[in-house]
Amino acid sequence: MARLDPVDVVVVGAGLGGSAFCARLSEQAPQLRIVCLERGDWVDRSAMPAYRRDWQSAALGAWATSPNVRLSAGGSRSADYPIDDSASPIKPLLWNGVGGSTINWAAHVPRLHPSDFRTKTLDGVGDDWPFSYFDLEPYYDLNDTAMGIAGLAGDPAYPPKRSPRMPPVAIGRMGEAAARGFNAMGWHWWPADAAINTVDRGDRHACNNGGPCLTGCPIQAKASADIVYWPVALRNGVELRTHCVAQHVIVKGGRAIGLAYRDGNGATHEQPAAFTVVACNGIGTARLLLASNIGRGADGALGRHLMFHPIAYARGMFTEELDGPRGPVGACVYSHEFYEHRPGRPFTRGLQLQVTRENAPLHQAARLEPAWGEDAHTRLREEFRHSLPVMVVAEDLPDARNRVALAEGVAADGLPNIRVEYTLSENSRRILDFGLDRAEDMLHAAGAYRVARVPLAPLTGWHLLGTARMGDDPATSVTDGRGRCHAVANLIVADGSLFPTAGAVNPGATIAALALKIGDDLAREVGR
Amino acid sequence: MTSAFLRAIVDTLLPGDHRTPPLPSGTAAGVATELEHLVAGLDGALHNVVLHAVATAAGGQEAFVRADALGRIASVRTVEAEMPGPFRALVAVVLQDYYEADVVLLAMGWRAEPPQPQGHAVQPFDEALLGPVRRRGRMWR
Repeated sequence: MARLDPVDVVVVGAGLGGSAFCARLSEQAPQLRIVCLERGDWVDRSAMPAYRRDWQSAALGAWATSPNVRLSAGGSRSADYPIDDSASPIKPLLWNGVGGSTINWAAHVPRLHPSDFRTKTLDGVGDDWPFSYFDLEPYYDLNDTAMGIAGLAGDPAYPPKRSPRMPPVAIGRMGEAAARGFNAMGWHWWPADAAINTVDRGDRHACNNGGPCLTGCPIQAKASADIVYWPVALRNGVELRTHCVAQHVIVKGGRAIGLAYRDGNGATHEQPAAFTVVACNGIGTARLLLASNIGRGADGALGRHLMFHPIAYARGMFTEELDGPRGPVGACVYSHEFYEHRPGRPFTRGLQLQVTRENAPLHQAARLEPAWGEDAHTRLREEFRHSLPVMVVAEDLPDARNRVALAEGVAADGLPNIRVEYTLSENSRRILDFGLDRAEDMLHAAGAYRVARVPLAPLTGWHLLGTARMGDDPATSVTDGRGRCHAVANLIVADGSLFPTAGAVNPGATIAALALKIGDDLAREVGR
Repeated sequence: MTSAFLRAIVDTLLPGDHRTPPLPSGTAAGVATELEHLVAGLDGALHNVVLHAVATAAGGQEAFVRADALGRIASVRTVEAEMPGPFRALVAVVLQDYYEADVVLLAMGWRAEPPQPQGHAVQPFDEALLGPVRRRGRMWR
């Protein structure tokens, strides 16, 4: 194994956490030599399917959100490894490459609520974060400014947000129908905060409502880490090495002294570094750290407390024509009427109701029952451009039994195989059932003549949280509030693995804010 | 596997309808031709298993072709119950070809062109709708 020249900081993973961290640290401590290792490559926007006639089937194959589906289909640009998700009703979704899962995210970027940082104190469940919403707020603002946020000020569900906003993404007929329903019920709703340009901004165009955000945005209206943070980090001198798969963190005498990694030619290298930072998402980070024997006791928290956002759907059918798949798929309107915990409800904590755009015709046809014959045609005729989906997004509470664990055998990338073990909790089930009832109430109030339910949607495991959680107690947490591993102080985590609790909103804004804060924390320590 | 049998299978799965504009049958949309290519290739092994099972359930390929619509549906349903996973995979393949055919997309009231570069028009947001929400007090804790 070749030993390379030492650097100050080596980062694993060029996704949202890794890129935001690199950009911030290189800005605040420009004297540092920083190297980032990324297992995948830059995404080629000209290869994205939105320009092609097979754009629908591409989303079910090489451009699917599931790495396992992409591996089966072959030909993906994402550097995937198999994940055994047979013991989880929710299947992990992610992208492996520069930009990470922001390549195929919906770019719906809500913040957590202040109460999400204090669930133990306020509601007696979960754990408090080591800092408050207001400690993280400046970093939310920084991320908003970097990405560019379309949205509307004044949402009473949040403290005032100081960062500037572009006009909100057009909510269209579906958003307006939902608004009618929410207003009729007397409930909260608000246009989504979206990291999507609604006006031209720099060299990124305004969104033209093309729709299939989850297969990447070829016109760059949708923000992603490769086009937002990496240009800054590279300009500041960060070195990005693609096609490099970290094999293990090298620890000696209780300190990380660097990383062993395999490059695209199969050669192995040792990259010595004063600080090692891991930002590979809630599965990849746990996999690398478990493979490195970091804090790997039988009762250790590493890999445990995996949280998704369990999702159910209520889909209302309307006689009026709606938009179907027009517009950014995940950014329409949301309701936080039932977000905050309220005693007397049949569950603890809360949920978000998120109105999304509809699926493309093929995707809508593929999930119908029956899927073939005259009845399938009739059902699709009824639904297409006449249905309005409402996602019920539950707050998943941390449970040590839900985990990412090493499995037998070694994968093609040289790391141990990985499996996900997850059971939907009774509390999450009750949240989803309550939310489905409320979504159905709203849809009927909006004019739906029929509502169909999906009690738990399997392919919704976008949010991989909690497997290297922050906390004060090494028995129940992996890192401190600065992302430092209790077991190895100069080993830092900078991604969604850190979340002690999950809230009930998309975590992207919080992951970026956390990574920016951790970058600042380290810059302060090494001296700016 | 005869062409007539494959066409009959495809049109049983995708019969089309007679509404305005009409949805074409799977064969009319070109799906049967695609399926012929698929089952003749290396990736067709799993689908061949399903297709053979349908033929067996019907008493042979020719018998399936000669059967009326209800008879064909009964044979297909038998195989759907016997091997739901492989059957669903076959359905997924024909759905992909069908719902990417221009004539089908147009019949569904959609357009044949992909999402980019022209995108879509979506009506602007009427902020007045937010009046009742703006009048609420602070909700966060």
